[in-house]
Amino acid sequence: MLGELGMRGDGGGCGGLVNAPCPFSGVLAHLSALETESVRLVELQREAWRQQATREELCATVERLRAQRDQLRAKVLSATSLQQVMTEVDQENEEKRSEEEKSAGDSQLHMSLLTARLSHVKNLLRAHHLIGGYDITETRRGKGVCFSIATAFEDRTLETYNVEMDLARTMRICRHNIPPFIPLERLAQENFQSDIMAFLDSLSMHLNAYVGRRQQVRLIQELFHGSVKVLESNALCSILVLRCRQVGEKKAAALCTLEYGDPTRCLPTRVTIDSEEKTLTDSPQWNEIQALFLETPAHQALLAIRREERIA
Amino acid sequence: MEDVAKELLSRLVRRIPLVRLRHVLGRWERLSKTQLLSLDFTQPKWALCENLLSLCEENEIAVKDLTEIEMLYRSEYPDQGVWHVFQLVDTSEESLSSDFMHFRDQFKANLKDLINHVSIKMKKLEDESVWIRIAWGGNFSRPNHLKPTYVVHHLQTPYVFVSSLANKHKPLLFQALALSAHCGSVKDVNLSGRCLTALRDLSMRQYKQVFPSRHQKRLEERDLLPNPSIENEHIKLAEYKQQVASEVFGDGVLPKLETAVYKLETKYREHGSENLARRDEPFRGVVKFSSSNLLESLKYCVSSGMASTPVTPLLSSITHKGRNYFVIKDKQHGSVPNTSASKF
Amino acid sequence: MSLLRPFSKLPELNMANVLLVGNDDTFQHVLADAIVKQENNVNVNVRLARTLPLPAENEDSRPRIDLVVLIVNLRSELSLSSTETSLKHLDTGFFLGKVCFLVTGARCTSVPHERLASLRKIAVSLHCPLLFTEDQTAKGISAAAGRVLNILRVSAGLVPLATGLGLSTLIRCSLPPDLDCQD
Repeated sequence: MLGELGMRGDGGGCGGLVNAPCPFSGVLAHLSALETESVRLVELQREAWRQQATREELCATVERLRAQRDQLRAKVLSATSLQQVMTEVDQENEEKRSEEEKSAGDSQLHMSLLTARLSHVKNLLRAHHLIGGYDITETRRGKGVCFSIATAFEDRTLETYNVEMDLARTMRICRHNIPPFIPLERLAQENFQSDIMAFLDSLSMHLNAYVGRRQQVRLIQELFHGSVKVLESNALCSILVLRCRQVGEKKAAALCTLEYGDPTRCLPTRVTIDSEEKTLTDSPQWNEIQALFLETPAHQALLAIRREERIA
Repeated sequence: MEDVAKELLSRLVRRIPLVRLRHVLGRWERLSKTQLLSLDFTQPKWALCENLLSLCEENEIAVKDLTEIEMLYRSEYPDQGVWHVFQLVDTSEESLSSDFMHFRDQFKANLKDLINHVSIKMKKLEDESVWIRIAWGGNFSRPNHLKPTYVVHHLQTPYVFVSSLANKHKPLLFQALALSAHCGSVKDVNLSGRCLTALRDLSMRQYKQVFPSRHQKRLEERDLLPNPSIENEHIKLAEYKQQVASEVFGDGVLPKLETAVYKLETKYREHGSENLARRDEPFRGVVKFSSSNLLESLKYCVSSGMASTPVTPLLSSITHKGRNYFVIKDKQHGSVPNTSASKF
Repeated sequence: MSLLRPFSKLPELNMANVLLVGNDDTFQHVLADAIVKQENNVNVNVRLARTLPLPAENEDSRPRIDLVVLIVNLRSELSLSSTETSLKHLDTGFFLGKVCFLVTGARCTSVPHERLASLRKIAVSLHCPLLFTEDQTAKGISAAAGRVLNILRVSAGLVPLATGLGLSTLIRCSLPPDLDCQD
């Protein structure tokens, strides 16, 4: 035992491969090399076992979840049919019951009403969070709060932004991850101390609009890869210059400039279209397109135009 | 070719490592393909410089084109020299709608109004950043292309990154910037470092920040399969420390900040040493932290328990306020607390 | 009850439990991994702690501890001082062959000699073995894991005819007479 202990200390220098012992090696060094090799093999074996075990476990979980899902499905099916029956029965009973007992179950009714109300409020809160309301968390043992503002565009949840506030003396923003081109300070000055909800609402509008505009640019790049080119955009995505080609023998290029003057909206306030062919730009068709850009998000407008086969 | 051009070229060749030089020259587009291929990058630098000079003379390349090499080099490899961060304050609504063309014309006009001999070169990169190279001249001297100032600005954001700016040119540059970016004034935010992207991420808060939320556990943490035969007795404490550390310094890859400097101008407070404590003038000292990645080191200090939690505002201010130079002063009695000290 | 006792719980069959105490988290985890991986005959259970005393809420789930390894990183003063405070929360029964010190960073030249000297004095006064290891290399870590395992096997009673106390008397740290001029 002792020899081994001592040896391990010095033997560190000449361990290594079994087949390539260093020149100073003796039996001990060889043994130590063998030992390290065996340890390595055991490790490999164990790792394999462990992986096997986790895989089995995961398989079992999958099975369990599947069973649960089927169960729930069956429940839902039976519940809907049950509900229909119940409502019918209820309606019949209602008429009889209303006459009979009114006072007996009064307190009980009160209690159940309250619980119903509570669960209703809880559900509302949850729904509020789900549809992108503000989540609020207490921080630093009540000395601060953290709001999270979820953003979304067209049924798709995008980034969540956070604002942490210090409540210790006066309310002030101490940390956030709002992009620098959102005028956070100005919004805060306007209605921060008086109306926190209004502040959050305006901030959320700015953020949602910004995220929406950025998502439009991304979608255009994705959906119209090669046909429509984004020539210019900026950090705030407040200007968007697109180049597309018209269908026709000439394939004249058209330049759409979308200006988003209102930072709280994701639709442009001004649309100008320049084309190489002057006659086309004045035609009613193009006016229609211009109106389309003003009313629908840019990528959808482009999709619609492509469907009508006006651009390539 | 002018002497200035020759000097500039030889300086560039000397300063830029060969691998990068080849890349930059390839992107320069002033030399033809055959000319580029004729350059032998295994030669010693002086010989390469001679060859390049003769090629430039052949193509009649002027100083203006050579400055483009430098600009390409600086923008491709921005981690050269020390960058200082400045903030545009009192920005008006107009600044949100400014575009590059407008900004360029305005800036050039404004700066040329202020100083006669100045050479400005501007371009916008793909990541929306505007790079400005300014070679300053004196009243009677031509612009010095050997010591240019570089300014990087992201339009619509209130931050400007400046490298190698002499004090005498500061007011000129700031005035031109304030006028063309529609803001009231330019303020030093006391943040500097070599890595431009880190400074940008830190000042614009583009690194991954962690905020307290109800859905505490992160996905990757849960997915990590723990070894059943290893158990941590202080697991809750460790998790708490990890959470605090990532709330203060961020998560994932942190911005690469190299230094943090604290200048102390405080009274010496210790019982026993009366001589020092009785002195009227403050006790001065400078504490400087430096590391290849300071935020990472500080985060490790906190998460491993070497630094106490909650984290002192002195350290957390680096990320919260986006600065790495602090002056710490005593609060003066009876008067308004000192501005620098009260910033914590 | 803040004192950790060695014999307050019953031992389990084919089981060895080791407690690693130290405030260098990364090294602790790597060492724990190495220890668990190296042993393949008995079930080794590693518990990690920053300092002693251990939190009371884990009292029930904690098995009998067969060996306490106090990890001291000589590069940090804090590590030494927290080890000193941790020692106060160990029952005297542990010092009969169930405690050892594991020192890292002793090769670092910028480490003041006094730290190692004071640690040595502590080890001598407590009759505990003092192991040195390299914490930066994989080889050093596996060597350290091997040594800890060897002591653990004995102190957990898994080696016939050997006891922790017996081993400890053989390998415990003894103070050389010329400590100051050594190192």
